[in-house]
Amino acid sequence: MSDEDLGTAGVPARIRDYLATRLPQARDLVLDNLQRIAVGWSHETWLFDARWREDGGIRTLGLCLRRDPGNALLRELSDLGEQFRVLQCLEATPLPTPRPYWYESDTAILGRPFLVMEKVPGTCPSPWGRDGRAYYAAAAARGVLPESFTDTLATLHTLDWRAAGLEFLGVPAPGTDFAQREIAKWRAFIEQTDAPPDPLLTDLVCWLEANAPATTRLSLVHGAYRTGNLLLDGDRISAVLDWELQVIGDPLYDVAYVLSDLNREGSELLSNLVARETFFERYEAATGITIDEDVCRYYHLLYAMRSAAFWLSASDLYARGASGDLRLARTAWSVPVVLERAARELGY
Amino acid sequence: MEHADLIERIAGTLRHEVGPAVTDEYARTQAYMAAVVLGKLAAEMRASAADAAANAADLDALFADLATFAAREPLPRALTGALESAARERSDAHLSRLVEQLYAAREALGAARFDALLGRVRETLRARLERALAYSA
Repeated sequence: MSDEDLGTAGVPARIRDYLATRLPQARDLVLDNLQRIAVGWSHETWLFDARWREDGGIRTLGLCLRRDPGNALLRELSDLGEQFRVLQCLEATPLPTPRPYWYESDTAILGRPFLVMEKVPGTCPSPWGRDGRAYYAAAAARGVLPESFTDTLATLHTLDWRAAGLEFLGVPAPGTDFAQREIAKWRAFIEQTDAPPDPLLTDLVCWLEANAPATTRLSLVHGAYRTGNLLLDGDRISAVLDWELQVIGDPLYDVAYVLSDLNREGSELLSNLVARETFFERYEAATGITIDEDVCRYYHLLYAMRSAAFWLSASDLYARGASGDLRLARTAWSVPVVLERAARELGY
Repeated sequence: MEHADLIERIAGTLRHEVGPAVTDEYARTQAYMAAVVLGKLAAEMRASAADAAANAADLDALFADLATFAAREPLPRALTGALESAARERSDAHLSRLVEQLYAAREALGAARFDALLGRVRETLRARLERALAYSA
C-alpha cells in the first residue's frame, strides 16, 4: 500500500509506530480507547490514550490526532501546520486550548500531514440535534455555562495576540482592510470552483465591498465561535476547538456569529445557550468593547457570503470527484437558501 | 415513466429500504443523503421547463424596463456595454457583470437612479430565487 493509498485502516498501527519514535523512552507502547470521531467536514480526528511502561511504572497520555484527508472543505485555507502554530502561540495565554505536541508534514508517516495534541477532558455536544439542544437548554438553566461561554470569548478578544506571536496570521491595515480581506478571501474561494457566476451572489459581494465597516480594534478572531466548537467539562469550557478560520480582525466578527440566528436552531438563546441581554452585558463589561449591531448586521451578510463559498466549494469537491461524500453533493441546494437570507437582509 | 418520477422512486427505495438496512453509520448516512439529493434532482427536473420559461419572460421584462431607464437619461458607457451584452447573451455571467457595472457606476448614476436600477434587477433575481427555493429549501 502506498502512502497515498493509505486509507484509515492502516492508520492506528502507524500512529503507534510514530509515537514510539516520539517517545523513545516508552516501552510496550499501546493505544487504548482509540476512536475516529464523527466524520467531520474538514480534518480526520482520532482520539486515543497512549499507554507505556517507563522507569518501572505505567504512564498514560491522552492524545488527539488530526490528519489532513486530502480533499477537505477549507483545506486550502487552513492547513494543519498553521493550526499547530496557532495552538503553540495560544499555549501560554489564558485561553483554554489543547496543548500541541507534534506536527508532521512528512506524508511518509501517515500518508498525509497531521498534528498531535492533548486530548482535553470533556464532551462536545452537537447543538443541531434534539439531544444537544436539550443539553444546552439544561446548561442554560443552571446558568454557569452561559457565563463561561461569554467570558471565554472575552478572554479570546482581549488576549495580547502580538505578544502571543500571532502576527503571522496577517494584520489588517486600519480602516476597512479587515472586511475587504475577508471578502477577497471568500471571493477567491468561490472562484476556485467551477460554479458559474451567480448574479445574486455578485450583488451580495458588491454590496459588501461597497459597505465595508472600518475596524476600530483588532483582536484574535476565532471565526466560528459557537456551541459545538467548544469542549465542555461539566459547566466549564475546557477547550476552544476548531482553529481553522482564525484571523486577526474585528472582534465583532465573532460577536456577530454568536448573535446570528443560524447558530440557535429552535431557541431564543444565542448559540442555544446564552440570553441576549446577559451576553451583551457580560461581554461588554469584560472587554470594554461596545457591540455595534449595525456592524454585526454587516458581518451577518459577510457570513452569508462565506456560507455560500463553503457550500459551492463543498459541492464542487464532489462534482470534481475529489470527494465521494454525498453530504457535499447535497450542499449545492444550500446555496439558494443562504442567498435568500442575504437577499432579505439586503431588502429584497 | 418520466425520468423525474423514476429518480424519485429510487430516492424512496434508498430512504425506506436501503438506508434502514445498512448498519455502518457512514454508509447509512450516505444512503439517506443519496435519497435527499435524488429527491431534489427530481423536483428540479420537474420544474426546469416551467422555470426556464418564467426566467426568460422575466429577463425580457427586465431588459425592456432597463432600456426604458436608459432612454430617459444616458447611462455611463461601461454600464451601457454591460447592459447590451446581458440583454443579448442572457447568461448568468453577463447578468453578474451587469450587477458589477451597476455598483461601479454608483457615483455617476447618483443614489436615486442606482437604487431604481438595482431594485429592478433585484426584482428579477428575487423571482428567480423563489423558483429555485421551491426545490432547494
